[in-house]
Amino acid sequence: MIEIPHEKNETLEGMQKVMYAQNEQGNFERYNYGSSVEEFATQVAVEEYELLKKECLERIKKGEDSPIAFYMYENRMDLPTLASAVGMFQFRVKRHLKMSVFKRMSDGLLKRYADAFSISLARLKEFH
Amino acid sequence: MTQIPFKHAQFAHCESGVMATLFSAYGFPLSEPMAFGLAHALSFVYLPFVKVNNLPLIAYRSLPKSIIKTLSKSLHVKMKTQTFKNEEQANEALRCLVQEGKIVGLQTSVYYLPYFPKDMRFHFNAHNLLVYGMQDEHYLISDPVFEEAVVCTQEGLSKARFAKGVFAPKGFMYYPENMPKQVDMRSLLQKAIVKNAKAMLTPFAFAGVKGMRKLAQKIVSLQEETNQRYVKNYLTHIVRMQEEIGTGGGGFRFVYAAFLKEAKAYGLNEALLEEASALMVNSGNALREFALYCVEGSKKIESLNTQKIATKLIEASTYEEKAFRLLKELK
Repeated sequence: MIEIPHEKNETLEGMQKVMYAQNEQGNFERYNYGSSVEEFATQVAVEEYELLKKECLERIKKGEDSPIAFYMYENRMDLPTLASAVGMFQFRVKRHLKMSVFKRMSDGLLKRYADAFSISLARLKEFH
Repeated sequence: MTQIPFKHAQFAHCESGVMATLFSAYGFPLSEPMAFGLAHALSFVYLPFVKVNNLPLIAYRSLPKSIIKTLSKSLHVKMKTQTFKNEEQANEALRCLVQEGKIVGLQTSVYYLPYFPKDMRFHFNAHNLLVYGMQDEHYLISDPVFEEAVVCTQEGLSKARFAKGVFAPKGFMYYPENMPKQVDMRSLLQKAIVKNAKAMLTPFAFAGVKGMRKLAQKIVSLQEETNQRYVKNYLTHIVRMQEEIGTGGGGFRFVYAAFLKEAKAYGLNEALLEEASALMVNSGNALREFALYCVEGSKKIESLNTQKIATKLIEASTYEEKAFRLLKELK
């Protein structure tokens, strides 16, 4: 038999997903369910990005990371995703995550990142 | 082809749900388990050398788009599929079809869909949904994992259709141009089931039953890992690949169990299908316990017992091996 969990899952904001389980006749039907196991796994993934952002801010203060790194995490991206979003090679994007390189980047180049993050160029440049 | 008035329904999985709704709407009633099973979509893949956010690729189902392709091919349905270079073209084409009254399937990113809960929005590009109408500048959407039909702005939908990255949808749009007439279900089912069985019993070490055991080995090795944050992320990543990107509670196994049960009505070996269906339920249940152990382990890393977690996964693989050895001989 398949048990249908009815636990809370706040990550779904009140919505419920469905799963298949047998009814009394042994035939399969769809049932709504809620799973705290799923909730926890999602929360860990969300919190990991918050943590990455926090660590990134520390490195920005030290002049190591660039604002692009911060917005990458803010948008829940990893390096391959960001590289694909701006249409550049990963090694190039990786350089742009450094503050020293960021300071020398042209507006045209920065605009491509600003667009990928759906923010204005000014907001990316005047990060604080 | 006649279309019946559109009715939204919620399903366990996006691609099989979309195909079930699409075929039913165009006049060929099809359940989600049938769509899933006929496309021999049950799978297991663990690719440690392909990274997603620094974690390995783990999948419990076949590649995105494979249900759309395989199902239409086996039912001899001509699927009109299109990708686009830019958003304007894609929007124009979609609007035309919707105005003709067609129901259209789209591949999208999850991250950019404004109606998704915030915590669920990650860069996963292989989501599927149906557009069934327009209201002013908004699209009426039947998203198979939502309880009710939803409304989405053109801008939001465009962004989701043109997200970049792995499995980038490039505006992918699809709808059937004809519907099957005479279908030899018995033969189709037999072929699809045997094919799925062969795929799950592949000798390739990173897929099927063997792939599950490979992942189990990796999990055992996490006991020696000193980076606790990595272990926590790794274990919950497995759960997310299984439960969210997939469908709840090792849900693909339950979908497949439902499919085998439904397949009994077509003159194949009933006893064998019944037994295999029960084994898939066992596997699904084991996978749910496995997910629970993964979560418990990452909550209390101090008392993490990777052997216990891995054993549960091996248990699931044993049920699946049994089930597919039976199904491989199905007549």
